[in-house]
Amino acid sequence: MLSRDRIGALLLLAFSTAYGYLTFQIPVLPFQAEAAMTARTMPEVLTGLGVLLSLALLVKPGAGEGPSLAGFQWRAGLLVCVLMVAYGFAVRPAGFLISTTLLLAGGFLILGERRWWLILAASVPVVVFFWVLMTQLLGVFIEPWPEFLTGAGDA
Amino acid sequence: MLEGILTGLQTAASPLNILMVAVGCFVGTFIGMLPGLGPISAIALMIPITYGFDPATGLILMAGVYYGAIFGGSTSSILINAPGVAGTVATAFDGYPMARRGEAGKALAIAAYSSFSGGTIAAVFLLIAAPSLAVVSLAFQSADYFALMVLGLTAVAAFAGKGNITKALLMTVLGLMLSTVGTDAALGMQRFTLGSLDLIDGISFLLLAMATFALSEALMSVLKPKSDDDRKREMEAQQNLGSMKVSGEEVKEMAPVVGRSSVLGFFVGVLPGAGATIASFLAYGMEQRLAGPKKGAEFGKGSIRGLSAPETANNAACSGSFVPLLTLGIPGSGTTAIMLGALISYGIQPGPRLFVDNPSVFWAVIISMYIGNVILLILNLPLIPYIARILAIPSTILIPMILFFSLIGVYFVSFNTFDIHLMVIFAVAAVGLRLLDFPMAPMLLGFILGGMMEDNLRRALSINDDSWSFLWARPLTLSILAIAVLILIVPMLTPQMKRLKALVYDRAAEGG
Repeated sequence: MLSRDRIGALLLLAFSTAYGYLTFQIPVLPFQAEAAMTARTMPEVLTGLGVLLSLALLVKPGAGEGPSLAGFQWRAGLLVCVLMVAYGFAVRPAGFLISTTLLLAGGFLILGERRWWLILAASVPVVVFFWVLMTQLLGVFIEPWPEFLTGAGDA
Repeated sequence: MLEGILTGLQTAASPLNILMVAVGCFVGTFIGMLPGLGPISAIALMIPITYGFDPATGLILMAGVYYGAIFGGSTSSILINAPGVAGTVATAFDGYPMARRGEAGKALAIAAYSSFSGGTIAAVFLLIAAPSLAVVSLAFQSADYFALMVLGLTAVAAFAGKGNITKALLMTVLGLMLSTVGTDAALGMQRFTLGSLDLIDGISFLLLAMATFALSEALMSVLKPKSDDDRKREMEAQQNLGSMKVSGEEVKEMAPVVGRSSVLGFFVGVLPGAGATIASFLAYGMEQRLAGPKKGAEFGKGSIRGLSAPETANNAACSGSFVPLLTLGIPGSGTTAIMLGALISYGIQPGPRLFVDNPSVFWAVIISMYIGNVILLILNLPLIPYIARILAIPSTILIPMILFFSLIGVYFVSFNTFDIHLMVIFAVAAVGLRLLDFPMAPMLLGFILGGMMEDNLRRALSINDDSWSFLWARPLTLSILAIAVLILIVPMLTPQMKRLKALVYDRAAEGG
């Protein structure tokens, strides 16, 4: 099995290579071409350093052991990530109050909380408090309700 | 200078700012106590709240959070042997054994008195050192700043790399790479935006800090939840604190330790990259050696000196780490790096000009550190039995709350849902890198210094007629770069030197 260092080195080597490829897509205007410093200079140096250091880590002898992943709750981790991504998509169309309450309640449920009174008590008041804090005290408008109720999405 | 101090005192002692220090210390203690969440996460979580504030007030609040988080970390180290921050790992060596024998209250009081003394003594040093260094650093040119940033980055990589400099350097480069995303400041060219309008302004430092620290820590807790035994231990710890009284004899034993560790902590804190963790371990080691064989044997079993030394040193180092931030504009640690990011977002450029252009901010921060220490002692210590109850909040509730604060903290600043998705991507990447044992602090420092480094490099090149000779033309630039190279080379050569030495001894033994 690959060691932790080598897996990381391979990932960062791939990242540095992709970064290097994109570096050459940065436009350089003709009059800048002769300058010592262009928009590409720093990325070029960083690509070189990234590739060099990843290779150094890759070939380094005795580069540690493999990652220890025993006892990890991958399903819960994945569900939490999906929940956050869904929140990103829902926060505007569903409004702040409903989407954020669902984010919190969903998080509690994924982590194994089954006491409904606690789920409600720890989500609804917190979300309402933050909404009041932002809109009433700090003067930042946040749409509380879904678009279909306010008609904001029709515009 | 006196005028500046008075202006700072006036700003720091305004009722609003005192309230902010108090709130900062309290919230910092609260967050710092949560295992896994350290000062970087605590400050990142507070930044969105401070955006509407006056810069001095915002920075004062963050300084309070910084101290509070370190103190909170000590509390969880002592009570449940789970340091919230690396800087309080050494605190657990003797603090936890004291708690095990029913002296948790006393251990917390010793930690608080030591932190207070260390922070106070170091704040006095800061009061003297910062303006002097600021005056000297006015003579610094772009080339020197560029060299200083290289030094800062290499030092952080060398010290934060936990023995693996290559990994830490790679993370620094990764941070620098991420800082180049967006529109190039000088030439207006788009770089690495992948055609997305959301990336034209680059990646926000708050987003990156929140995703790679607070959010990824919360995700790690989801992936690896605590065992039932741990939870039982936490409940017991917060129920039986015992007396908080410290006897006169114990104070006498602590006093010289506090004096020595404050000086050591402050100077280690000033060094870029060293910070609270190294300061606390060095102070612990120094006191163990100075204690003599009898007292030295008590270290690790609940020694008062062993608890007092790292606690004093880590707080003194926190004050020390503000010296390069306030005078040179170069953060020496992940925590001060995030403060630098916050300062820039307030429209303030830290550095030698801060002392001249914004004396009220400069002095108010220094004075608020002192006020913060007083508040930690008079407010937080008596409240510890209540604050410790946070350890009893079930993780099923606590972790989603951290997710919520991290996400809305970033969303409320930009109101761009793309940021939420970008945060998830960064947090997942950070979890992967954490599992592979790659340190995050060098990445954050690289990200924050990246833009400034490029600006200074560009300026140095244009001043020097596009010639790279600026790197060796001035003795100051050359010396700073030489130190950076030495910092990198020495730890790499040390194992080889040891091997060579062992070989020579073996040969000598064989021959003799």
